[in-house]
Amino acid sequence: MEQFEQLLTCAICLDRYRNPKLLPCQHSFCMEPCLEGLVDYVRRQVKCPECRAEHRIPYQGVQGFPTNVTLQRFLELHIEITGELPDPTSGQVMERCNVCSEKAYCSFCSHCDKKICEECKGAHMEILRREITRINNQIRRGIHRLQDTLSLVEKNAQGIQTNCLSVGEEVEEIYRRLNKALKDRTDYLRTEIGKYLGTELRSLNTLKDNLELEISNILSNCDLADKHMAEGNDMWDDCELMDTKEIFLKTVEFIRNFEYENPDYNRKVRLVLAHDPNQLVLHVAGFGDLNIANSHLNTGSHLTPSPGLMRSKSDHRLAAQFKHNQEGYGERGYGDQDEPLLGGRKFGERKKEPTSTSDRYGDRYGRGGNDYGDDYDGETRPTRSRYSRYRRHQAGDNDSDQEQPRNVKFDHKKEDRERVIDTEDVARGPLSGITRLADSPRVMKKLQDNESGKKKEKEAPAPPPAAPQPKQPAPKRPPPPPATRQVSEDDEIARIKKQNKASSSTTETAAETRPAAERTTLADSGDRHSAQRKTPAPEAVSSTEETDESVSSLQQTQRKTAASKTAAAATRRASDAGHKKSARSASSDSSSDASTGSSSAIRGTGAPFTTEEVKQKYLSRGSVDNTPDNRTRLSSTGSNKDAKPFQSRFLNKSSPAPPPAKDDEETESSSEEETDETESEEESVKKPETKEMAKSDIGPLLARSANARDNSAETDRKNSRDSYSSRNKYASPREESPKYTRTRPVPKEEEPRYNYTSRFLNKSKSSAAIAPPAAEEDDHTRDEDKYPTGRSRYMALKERRQRLARSRSNQHFGDEDDNDEPVSPTTSNPSAYLASRGYGSASSSSHDLARSRSTHALKSRDNSPDRPGTEKDGAALSSWARYLKNKYGNRSGAKDKDSAGATSLTPSSSSSATARRLSLGLPLRSSTELASSDDDSKNVKGSPTTPTAATAQAAAGIAVAAAGTSPKSQYLQKAQQLFELGSRGSEAGCFTWPRGVAVGPDNSIVVADSSNHRVQVFDNNGRFLKEFGQYGNGEGEFDCLAGVAVNRIGQYIIADRYNHRIQVFDPSGTFLRSFGSQGTSDGRFNYPWGITTDALGFIYVCDKENHRVQVFQSDGTFVGKFGSMGSKEGQLEHPHYIAVSNTNRVVVSDSNNHRIQIFDVNGKVITSFGTEGSEEGQFKFPRGVAVDDQGYICVADSGNNRIQIFQPDGTFLKAFGSWGLGKGEFKGLEGVAMTQNGHILVCDRENHRIQVF
Amino acid sequence: MAALPRRIIKETQRLMQEPVPGISAVPDDSNARYFHVIVTGPEDSPFEGGLFKLELFLPEDYPMSAPKVRFITKIYHPNIDRLGRICLDILKDKWSPALQIRTVLLSIQALLSAPNPDDPLANDVAELWKVNESEAIRNAKEWTRRYAMDN
Repeated sequence: MEQFEQLLTCAICLDRYRNPKLLPCQHSFCMEPCLEGLVDYVRRQVKCPECRAEHRIPYQGVQGFPTNVTLQRFLELHIEITGELPDPTSGQVMERCNVCSEKAYCSFCSHCDKKICEECKGAHMEILRREITRINNQIRRGIHRLQDTLSLVEKNAQGIQTNCLSVGEEVEEIYRRLNKALKDRTDYLRTEIGKYLGTELRSLNTLKDNLELEISNILSNCDLADKHMAEGNDMWDDCELMDTKEIFLKTVEFIRNFEYENPDYNRKVRLVLAHDPNQLVLHVAGFGDLNIANSHLNTGSHLTPSPGLMRSKSDHRLAAQFKHNQEGYGERGYGDQDEPLLGGRKFGERKKEPTSTSDRYGDRYGRGGNDYGDDYDGETRPTRSRYSRYRRHQAGDNDSDQEQPRNVKFDHKKEDRERVIDTEDVARGPLSGITRLADSPRVMKKLQDNESGKKKEKEAPAPPPAAPQPKQPAPKRPPPPPATRQVSEDDEIARIKKQNKASSSTTETAAETRPAAERTTLADSGDRHSAQRKTPAPEAVSSTEETDESVSSLQQTQRKTAASKTAAAATRRASDAGHKKSARSASSDSSSDASTGSSSAIRGTGAPFTTEEVKQKYLSRGSVDNTPDNRTRLSSTGSNKDAKPFQSRFLNKSSPAPPPAKDDEETESSSEEETDETESEEESVKKPETKEMAKSDIGPLLARSANARDNSAETDRKNSRDSYSSRNKYASPREESPKYTRTRPVPKEEEPRYNYTSRFLNKSKSSAAIAPPAAEEDDHTRDEDKYPTGRSRYMALKERRQRLARSRSNQHFGDEDDNDEPVSPTTSNPSAYLASRGYGSASSSSHDLARSRSTHALKSRDNSPDRPGTEKDGAALSSWARYLKNKYGNRSGAKDKDSAGATSLTPSSSSSATARRLSLGLPLRSSTELASSDDDSKNVKGSPTTPTAATAQAAAGIAVAAAGTSPKSQYLQKAQQLFELGSRGSEAGCFTWPRGVAVGPDNSIVVADSSNHRVQVFDNNGRFLKEFGQYGNGEGEFDCLAGVAVNRIGQYIIADRYNHRIQVFDPSGTFLRSFGSQGTSDGRFNYPWGITTDALGFIYVCDKENHRVQVFQSDGTFVGKFGSMGSKEGQLEHPHYIAVSNTNRVVVSDSNNHRIQIFDVNGKVITSFGTEGSEEGQFKFPRGVAVDDQGYICVADSGNNRIQIFQPDGTFLKAFGSWGLGKGEFKGLEGVAMTQNGHILVCDRENHRIQVF
Repeated sequence: MAALPRRIIKETQRLMQEPVPGISAVPDDSNARYFHVIVTGPEDSPFEGGLFKLELFLPEDYPMSAPKVRFITKIYHPNIDRLGRICLDILKDKWSPALQIRTVLLSIQALLSAPNPDDPLANDVAELWKVNESEAIRNAKEWTRRYAMDN
């Protein structure tokens, strides 16, 4: 088994193979980082570590090696057998870490929201851990505040107890005293009444007795008298009668006089009260008030919340507010007050990884929506809401296609919400909402795993036994009645609708007003809290389970009714919703007087609630109060319930992804289409050109140029002399084949004239009596008769060859030249040979052969696109025409000059030349240019020692003066920096070791930001436009690119230095093609550095380590090369930068030879200047070179940290700059470029900037 | 300092668990890329009985580049100079990532057994080795006795 494992171990990383790649030597290694690390980029090969066999790396890099499938199967098998966990990184691809830029297996870091490598992630986690430790220390240091508060609260509790006790006693005392006083008085009054009643009764009784006695006496007297007195019995003596009569009279008198004073015995006694009994009762009833100190109530607000523990407000009353705030969230989504804390995630739950931007978008969007729902969001997180608005805006802007994903997103949001509901069932601090980590199942599991891991490493982490959740009695709770759920879902809908409306509160639907109504009820609850302040027990306690439980069942039913009622009320109050909102916002404000504020606000809204209603509501509110915890707990009780949100979460992740991805694809494909189109356009434009070039045999021509160079010196004069005759000669074959003549473009006919005239202008060589250049062909033919006679055929041949050698890709001329000239037996190019033989009938030894060839040549001509036609075609062709002009002009100019006074000037010719230019669609050049180009042309033709050089320069000077512009003086004034671009960095607009710089056709500034492996483009004012490219060796990726060039159609051509190739990008920065690889053969490079392109799109590359310049067609076809290692003329040592003038002078900074060499397009040295030193005109490792359109040459004299400007002939003009980091100072120069308006762009490498002069 | 690559950890573990006979390599306490190495002189060589201290450092791009190894103990050997630098192809151009610390040290041990005076680093030693091998070997033994024993 061990050996088996050995076989599955990569010899480099000593790990299991990851994506094993099979080398041709049959050894396998992980692709990344092992094989990748083995790559020898210089030689573009990989050496097998096992057997040291060297293998070429496939074009697409090491991934091009075949994957060792067998080994992979074995790996899978091994995993199956051993049950070994698969390598977590197996499926991953190495990416560049966003922090350290190293290539590694990256994963998402929650700390910095980036994909970073394990190392950096470890560091970040370490930072987090340290931060947590630090914060923990802070908390530890700060916890005493809570503890102090706790003891204070305890003390307060005690205080209030004693206080209440004493007050109670006081009340009792007063009660007793009052009682006693009342009792005493009552008793006294009672006895008084009794006493009085007794005496009165007694007197009355006496009176009664006396009266009764009187009545009986009188009645007996009466009876006696009646019985005895009337009878007349003499029983009675007179005395007796008299006495009786007296008594009777007395009785009568008594009765008459007796009068009983009848007092009102009912109201004899009256209780007279000292005070109004009612008053008295009132007084007694309110015999004392409890004066509960109000100041004490407000202590909470006086305590300034500590900044560290903002949320934990020390007063219990704030708990109510907190609750209330919590409802603020809860109202919208099940009271998830956790959202602000962990963003609604479960503890330790990974944020949704924005694996793709589209995904992130979806997520963000959903989140933004949520936030938007939160009432304070608008203020506190404006960016996000703006974002969501932005998104919405976008969605709104786009057509119905966009509409759908939007809907999807809302759906998704709902699910998202559900997930949020399912927050953790953990004990949560009632004040701060801080969960107790130890209760989080995740944390518990972690701890348990950790412990069990410590105990037994091998033992599989046993499932946590019976989930020790002491703080969660909830799980057995009955599920909430559907009504509550319904309400919250309504909330949901309301919120969604609200979102749809983009916060427009103007049109409110009933659905929307409902939450508003509930919000008012919420405010009511706030009111209640304030009312309940008098209760000494803190309201927060009510959020504990017991009260919760006791109320919940009742409340749940009540809530139902309340909900319906509030709904009703809501519709009633739809009109003043705005008003309510303000009330709500006031209530949600967590200042200490928020609740009072809200209550007043409630009153302000004039809610027509009966007290009962209010009560009802506040009860239901109370239930809501407590339900959040409740509900969250409920929703996460059953595992199946858990599973659902989990799934939905998963869906969330995946569902929003497809539409944006599709979007991307669409845009991508469309852009691709676009680029394709443009490309094809370009290609179609280019096609004729390239085709012609392809046919033009440049390679052989270049090759022959060596030959030509040898002859050129001696034959120079003769050649040029001859050329006129040759011209005449080629007229003759034309006569022979009329077809040929017809195809001959008219402009070409004029071309010599143009050069003619300008030459005449420059040189002021007139007096020639020969026919003007505009002369008809008959003139030439006439000349033909005159000239060749005195001239040896041999000389003519020589001249022809030389011309051939110099002739460029111009097939037309090549053909002509070849055709009308005798064949050179030494001609190396057979086709040219044959062609020339075909037309060179006069001297050809075998006529028949020549004939047959001539037809062949004609055929080949037919195959090539009809030039006259194409020439008139478009802008791209104008460059072609220009090229022709340059070439043709040079020679004809030379010829003209040597045809000794054969030129006669017509003053109108210069204007006609311009006219011709215009007709060719060429930019109108100033006469200066004309002059200088002519000057160049002479230089091309002549050796540097040609005496005419001086005159040429003089001519240029004249021309400059004549033109009124003086680039010379302009350059002489250079030294002052105009502005600069960039600083060190990797952001847009910053550079790290910029190297190449180029100016685009639209005057944009293109910079090769070498060590950032990208190209940056700025407008001509230095404003950042775009960038493209990144590190790598794939398409469109760079490894320390050096040179940049922009061709006439705006394509970017980049020397991808360490990848030893050239890459071409279209004007939008999209990769078009690349060519070249490392090597020394044709078309291969060794650290290509500077690069440039000419008007025809030929690409010139400084192949630095191969000490040569290579020339390519714009499609990457190798055209030619020149230069070899050495310090002789034409040799190069570490050529760095290259520039081509519009007269096709190729300027190369021959860096290690401390000189500038100027070649013609065929690689022949025209001139060179500069030696090592720091004097004017001397160099130390010159690097960047640039040529303006007048031929002035700008050289970045790297070792001297200065810029030198030279006149077109190489004479020193101006130098400026020194070492330093100030303006106009340099530290290590690289590329330079010149804009059309004469500005000089300088790449100041170690200052990481571009300076403009 | 960046985290240690897994390869170095693995190699270190294996060096500890299954040490090569006659070679001990212990990572430095403060730098896990720096190893204190002791190589015993091979039998039947003039270095027999000697304990040669070396230092070995794994550069940043190890295993893509060779470890840096140097003799600390003075040794009389044609391929090891006075500074202790070793002329050994696998430490230079013949390095391969498939080689490991143990293989390198084994190679060094083998180099002690088989000096190669034709590819010398210490020219005087190599010269003597070629001209008068017995004396050279005597010198080597002497040096071994003097520098590589008793400490």
